[in-house]
Amino acid sequence: MSSAGTGSDFFALQGLLKRQLQLLLAAILLVAAVFVVRPSVGAALFSTRFLPHAFCYLQRPALVWTHVTADGLIAVSYLAISVTLAYLVSRARRDIPFPWMFLAFGLFIIACGGTHLVEVLTIWIPVYVLSAAIKLFTAAASITTAIILPFTVPRILELVQQAKVSEQITAQLRASEERKEALLREVHHRVKNNLAVICSLLHLQSIHTRDEKTVDTFCDMETRIHSMALVHESLYSAENLARVDFAEYAKSLAEDVVASYEKPTTPVRLQTDLEPVNINADLALPCGLILNELISNACKHGFPEGVAGEIKVSVRSTSEPGRYTLSVHDDGIGINPEIDVNTSKSLGLRLVRLLTQQIHGSFELVRSEQGTSARLDFRVDQ
Amino acid sequence: MIQAVFIPREPRVLIVEDEILIAEELRERLARLGYSVIAAVDSADEGIGIATREVPDLVLMDIRLRGKKDGVEAAVEIRRQVDIPIVYLTAHSDNLTVERAKKTDHDGFLLKPFHRRELQSTIEVAMKRYALRKGKTRPM
Repeated sequence: MSSAGTGSDFFALQGLLKRQLQLLLAAILLVAAVFVVRPSVGAALFSTRFLPHAFCYLQRPALVWTHVTADGLIAVSYLAISVTLAYLVSRARRDIPFPWMFLAFGLFIIACGGTHLVEVLTIWIPVYVLSAAIKLFTAAASITTAIILPFTVPRILELVQQAKVSEQITAQLRASEERKEALLREVHHRVKNNLAVICSLLHLQSIHTRDEKTVDTFCDMETRIHSMALVHESLYSAENLARVDFAEYAKSLAEDVVASYEKPTTPVRLQTDLEPVNINADLALPCGLILNELISNACKHGFPEGVAGEIKVSVRSTSEPGRYTLSVHDDGIGINPEIDVNTSKSLGLRLVRLLTQQIHGSFELVRSEQGTSARLDFRVDQ
Repeated sequence: MIQAVFIPREPRVLIVEDEILIAEELRERLARLGYSVIAAVDSADEGIGIATREVPDLVLMDIRLRGKKDGVEAAVEIRRQVDIPIVYLTAHSDNLTVERAKKTDHDGFLLKPFHRRELQSTIEVAMKRYALRKGKTRPM
């Protein structure tokens, strides 16, 4: 519970007490006024011209103290019960049904406690008129409670029924939510499967051609489609069916792309440094395609037959919140310096250019003596 | 001088995979690596039937299959009847099923999509492990 909640509850309790105190004060003033106007009423009420109860008990200490103890305990318990009820109503006044019913109960119990308290008093001080007045008040409170209680029964039953119905509705909603989730998972799985089948089709088709350039084109298309299939694979296995764990996705994709361009004699090592970030499916798809092009390019142009080395893939947050940098660095032979990212006619770089535009990112290619670095800056909406 | 000439037969492989085109790609890749695929089936029951009848040298088992039984159940059933190496085919992120599959007897995992070297090394390792196990348990 928050401290603010406790504070407002405390003030609500204070407000309730204040109102009750005002009522009590009014009642006392009314009684006092009666006593002032008609002094005989007060005299009669507190009259002690009777025999104390102790005489009836023949002053036997065992009997006297048993009565005193029992009546005292009953009075204290009744008071404690009514205090608890009053506290309950003040704490949950808005949520509790029939708060006045609880208050009537509290009043009835306080009155009962009062009669027992006077019982203790009358053992020694015979204020029987006062005792009778308190009993009369108790009778009034009891009768009122007894009369209104049956009228609330149908409403209580109705409330119980409503609670049951709302429980059923909650269970139905939960079940429907689960069904929807299972369905969505199945859809992602099927999309992924269909894309995998397309990859198989491309592979099977590529077998029938002898032209190496055509085989390479098929291979490129296979990795592109696979990078899309992986998004759906990440989605159906993810906790959240709309977002992709991009670090895990990038790692799987990088491993697959590097493996698909493998050259048995000169292996290319893959190193990853990926900061965890969850991104939406519609951002993951273009980012995945871009990453696929960058790694493919590094494999093909950075490491031709006979050149071994390392490709480093990283995803890092920038100083600007929500902005990330995806970078692919290779220590291979470097791409032709005449190639301009902005004008290149190669499909790979054209895809990078277009998809960067789609995600409102920025892209740059940096050539240095340590190799080639491709960097993509993009925004992730939380 | 007479020399014993060994002509090792091509290892026989059974593919259990519910996407026939993916199975076909696998068949083609395996053929290039020098394996003969005796059949490619798409259900657990067919897989169990052929594996126990033909006793291939290796079973490649997809985990998600058509029908009630999945690949993990099929692998357990095959292993109960015949001792042959089984390699599971899975996607990267089928974490739950992969965990379940790992608890059963198997000789390796192959991630889809298939890459030539991975395919070759996983199958070779599986068959070597099997040969070692066989050698150790063979009665003297």
